[in-house]
Amino acid sequence: MKRTSALRVAALAACAAFLYSIASPAADSVKIGILWPLTGNAAAAGQASKAAAELAAEIVNHAHPELGDLPLAKTAGLPNMGGATLELVFVDHQGNPSLAQQLATRLITQDKVNVLLGAYQSSCSFTATAVAERYGVPFMVGESAALNITGRGFRWVFRGTPIASDYARTYMRFFTDMRKSGTTIGSIAIVNENTDYGTSVADAIVAEAKKADISVAIRIPYSASSSDVSAQVLQLKEKKPDVVIFISYTADSILYMKTMRNLDYRPAMVIGDDTGFSDPSFIPAVADIAQGAMNRSAWAIGKPGSTTYRINEMYKAKTGRDLDDTSARNMQSFFALADALNRAGSTDPEKMRAALAQTDLKPEQLMMGYQGVKFDSTGQNVLAATYLIQLHGSRYELVWPDRAATAKLQWPMKGWTR
Amino acid sequence: MRYGAVTLWAALLAYPLVLYNQFYWDIGVGLLLAAITASAWNIVGGYAGQVSVGHAMFFGIGAYAPLLVYHLWKLPPVAGVPLAIGLSLALAVIIGVPTLRLKGHYFSMATIAIAELIRIFVGTWDLVGAAIGLQGPAVGRGWWDLTFRSEIPYYYIFLGVLAVLLSVTAVVERGRFGYYLRAIKAGERAARSLGVPVQQTKLKALMLSAAFTSVAGSLYAIKTGFIDPESGFGILVSVQMVIVAALGGAGTRLGPLVGALVLVPAQTAINTWFGGGGTGLTYILYGGIILVLARFEPGGLHELWHRAAPLLRRRARAA
Amino acid sequence: MLLLQVIVGGLLLGAVYALFSSGLTLIWGMMNFINFAHGEFVMLGMYVALVVVTWIGGGPAAFGLGAAFALFVLGVVVYLSLIRHVVRGPMLAQILSTFGLALLLRYSAFWIFSANFVSLPQTSLSGTVNLAGILMPVAQLVAGVVAITLTVALHLLLARTALGSRLLAVAEDRNAAMLMGIRPDRMQALAWGLSAGAAGIAGALMAIAYPWSPSVGETFGLTAFVVVALGGFGSVPGALYAGLIIGLIQALSAYWLGPVYKDIVVYALFAALLWLRPQGLLGRA
Repeated sequence: MKRTSALRVAALAACAAFLYSIASPAADSVKIGILWPLTGNAAAAGQASKAAAELAAEIVNHAHPELGDLPLAKTAGLPNMGGATLELVFVDHQGNPSLAQQLATRLITQDKVNVLLGAYQSSCSFTATAVAERYGVPFMVGESAALNITGRGFRWVFRGTPIASDYARTYMRFFTDMRKSGTTIGSIAIVNENTDYGTSVADAIVAEAKKADISVAIRIPYSASSSDVSAQVLQLKEKKPDVVIFISYTADSILYMKTMRNLDYRPAMVIGDDTGFSDPSFIPAVADIAQGAMNRSAWAIGKPGSTTYRINEMYKAKTGRDLDDTSARNMQSFFALADALNRAGSTDPEKMRAALAQTDLKPEQLMMGYQGVKFDSTGQNVLAATYLIQLHGSRYELVWPDRAATAKLQWPMKGWTR
Repeated sequence: MRYGAVTLWAALLAYPLVLYNQFYWDIGVGLLLAAITASAWNIVGGYAGQVSVGHAMFFGIGAYAPLLVYHLWKLPPVAGVPLAIGLSLALAVIIGVPTLRLKGHYFSMATIAIAELIRIFVGTWDLVGAAIGLQGPAVGRGWWDLTFRSEIPYYYIFLGVLAVLLSVTAVVERGRFGYYLRAIKAGERAARSLGVPVQQTKLKALMLSAAFTSVAGSLYAIKTGFIDPESGFGILVSVQMVIVAALGGAGTRLGPLVGALVLVPAQTAINTWFGGGGTGLTYILYGGIILVLARFEPGGLHELWHRAAPLLRRRARAA
Repeated sequence: MLLLQVIVGGLLLGAVYALFSSGLTLIWGMMNFINFAHGEFVMLGMYVALVVVTWIGGGPAAFGLGAAFALFVLGVVVYLSLIRHVVRGPMLAQILSTFGLALLLRYSAFWIFSANFVSLPQTSLSGTVNLAGILMPVAQLVAGVVAITLTVALHLLLARTALGSRLLAVAEDRNAAMLMGIRPDRMQALAWGLSAGAAGIAGALMAIAYPWSPSVGETFGLTAFVVVALGGFGSVPGALYAGLIIGLIQALSAYWLGPVYKDIVVYALFAALLWLRPQGLLGRA
């Protein structure tokens, strides 16, 4: 009897301990619960996005007239709510979908957040958004790629970022453009890391390539934790595609570039699907061997004095690095969310939801290269778009579409310079 | 002892009524799930001493089957549970027969390799969603889909399953089968010389363990509504089972439950206090706890209590 | 020609596998103990290399030795504080101990170095060598050659020196060794030091050629298990052959079947080995 009753006490003590830890002070502010992987494999991305979100909240909460038409930058706080400030509550779901589900529940029931933002990994977005839908709390998906996060008939889920099919279509439009101007694009190859991110995008590219009548010479799924990719590069060398599209994380992107150099393989063009190619450690590691590699980005730092340049400077001051595309997309989704909150004028869930559904931001109001922010009935931003950028020297330059380009497209890519 | 068990069950029954909040209920559900998986593992890992670190293979099958029958044929996920159990039993036999011949570390390594193999394979198999995984019904079509808005039904369903599992464990413990298991754990050669059918017993233990682990996986998938190769077959799933059972006391009936009662709230608390900072402190502490446990008290809390209880009793008597 | 390229690449990587697996097999042979944190030793070797390069600015020799030394010390410390106490205990405790250690090491590295992938700044070992049409990155070539050399050196240490015989004596029969005046405790501590040190150098060598993060330890650990199982538990020459074979199989599977299947092939081989020939190629039955 003593044994189990003491165990009970221990269990209750453990419960009491975390009960104590969960405080939820009410304040004159709007609370945004943010779920990201702050530890685990995707932690670098989660941490970078966290800094971006904190910066965005800073911009909204204080007056920044120098940031032009960016929503809520000129004013301090949310003007339609008497200057109420945004308060952020971060949680770390560690990339675990079950934990994401639990933390979403906690944010809503304990921390009493008004809206949610997240969650990076599609698996975590699936489960966390389901919780938000159940409780009737608006959830803004910042950057998860899987298609049917917004396809489940949910009312409370919105996604500001482009999705896999948008990217695939962008690539195909680019290839079609290149063909029109005389370049030969006989076939392409797709090299994708084999978790949900890489697989979603690769699937979308295969589907769009069929529609655009571009043949896929080979598709190579691989595990992002591979330490050696020589065999894959040799397969590519054998198939001789004109363009190789990489859908990779950071380490593998760098590894591929290095291996290609070592094995003397240079296709006419390499396109990276953001992520690894946009990581701050990519350019320093491969600048001298991957000149002309392309990347997609809806984010471009822009000319000195522009709003985007200023935002980047602020981010650099905070973290020591340039703002990357993924974090920038999260930041944009955050601004769209804040704008909707302001238009709602209250934290009443239905009003917030209606305001989100009616969002209509124009390109001049955005920090990203989208054509706007407007959600369709499934909650997806139909005006999301992306640029294509290219590595010139030690920075990416915007090279496509022509109307926004700041540098000339280099084709074929130069590759290594020695 | 009798009173202790009764009060423990009473506390578990009353928990959601005392801590009346969805978040605490969700933690309770997580706690019960950890207890179920650890108790299932306990049958072959604790009682028989066959330390499998690849039990996720059964958990994963249990989790995928319900969502697969929903994905393919729009059946309520719970209809996939018998399928899951059947597949898990088959897998237990297929891998059990050759693997249970191996001793100690070899067996553990084999289980790790097989679980990893299955995980990678499932990640490439389009039928089961490959790397993206499978989802359950987003909104229930009826009560049979078991997609409850509240955590409470899940809590009591899980509690019921735990009760069944622990009753089965009690029956095993007291019967000849349990005697065989303990003999095998103590020394296989000696057991064999006493006439214990070692291979058969180990296989039966593995099958029983596999079936319940599979049920645990099904419960997880039905409640979470999502499964992918990592959350179903990942190595952390296997390791968690072992740690929870070992912390409370592997080879004892209530050990895994005790382990869950301590570890799950502790994990949640650590994640709440330190999680937002993102330093990985949760896992550092987790690793540290396991290390200390292994080094100083491998018998878990059960063992610790056994040693402390007489001292406390003596103190009480003297007072 | 491409096939030959694949083969050479596989063998070079396999040589590094051989080096870090030789330590694991040594421990196994001596103490019948699996170290689930072995992959983390390799990972730490990589970070030591990074620290040496960025703080002291040393070259490959400096960081190689640095990694070897640092990990040697860690191995001895781990043995003295943890392993020697659990090795006589229940199986569960043994397994848990090094699992817990693995988590602790991995996430401590995460805490100190963050999750970002890192690589060594360009060293004197960059560039590619072209031998008869086969392209070999200097870094990988050096890594492979040094790895084989060290593995052979370890084998010679065990087989041809007095110290080696003492280590093997303890592996053979602990009590008999004690009767001969050998201190098993000391020998086992030394074995752990050597094992970790070998893993550390292997890590440093890999760091020259590949980027990494704290989570790479898990994959290396599993690879080491497979190599040890194939080579035979307790046999360093076995680890050498097995490492090369596994590296080769991985490369060929990736080339012929596709990269995602290379791990499946390796694990399936592992399982088959455990069932059909647990003593591996050269192990003691």
